[in-house]
Amino acid sequence: MRKKFYIMWLLVAALWAANPIDAVAQQRNSPAFEHVHSLAMDSGGQTLFLGAHTGLFRSDDRGRSWKKVQLSAKHAHLDVMGVTPDPREPKTIYIATHETGVLKSTDGGASWTEVNSGLGGLDVHGLAIDPNVPFKLHAVVREKGDGIYRTTDQGGKWIRVDDGPEGEVKVLTSVNISTGMGGIFLYAGTSTGLQRSADCF
Amino acid sequence: MGGLPTSRTVNGFAVNPEDPKIMFVAMRDGLFKSTDAGASWKVVGNELKKVAAVTINSKKPTEMYLSTMDGTIYVSADAGMKWKKQR
Repeated sequence: MRKKFYIMWLLVAALWAANPIDAVAQQRNSPAFEHVHSLAMDSGGQTLFLGAHTGLFRSDDRGRSWKKVQLSAKHAHLDVMGVTPDPREPKTIYIATHETGVLKSTDGGASWTEVNSGLGGLDVHGLAIDPNVPFKLHAVVREKGDGIYRTTDQGGKWIRVDDGPEGEVKVLTSVNISTGMGGIFLYAGTSTGLQRSADCF
Repeated sequence: MGGLPTSRTVNGFAVNPEDPKIMFVAMRDGLFKSTDAGASWKVVGNELKKVAAVTINSKKPTEMYLSTMDGTIYVSADAGMKWKKQR
């Protein structure tokens, strides 16, 4: 009797080891982000997007569980530096990537298009959308073609407008505070601290 | 920019869409809040370190989320004062 019980116990332990329910569930809900760069919620207040060294992830349950977002058939691996939702169109999201410039989705992240016409390089470290005029965005390009670029048609065409702040830019945000000169302020989080500039370059 | 650690990397930034003078900065040293467009800053969420990114729900600006560098997610329901681990 005791032997039977012992064998049964061993069997249960072996089954648990082969399929540890908690560990499987945890892995399913916890993909490896590695280095996190950016976090943003769509303007409908429903979906969180997280940009990381290992790609773009989305959560539809307030950050409890995450799924990797398929971005590009061409690029298996993209380092997502910034996530910038359109403040008026909940399904429109822009991302800045380390390798392939700016990508845009108009269907809530299901499909993505590169919008890089006019950018001097494809290493984009920051992407800011104007809260008043959402078809206007500013992007910070590093390395080749470095500087700040502006689009006034939702990424259709970019034009270089400034050298950009000192230091390596980590995040760029348009803030709806009037400069008194017809524009608003851009805030840049950089390797040397927080900097701000009028956006009327 | 008084109150922020000097010459340190700013990893993340978020602004309240209803009152843009209220803003948050994510740093290795923690999470910082300004209510005067960045002139002065105070640390919030004392236990937080290595903060990589922060965001505000524009539909409900008291609701906020942040991620640490290793991907731990926290949520706040009171505009950044108290934080609960979400993942």
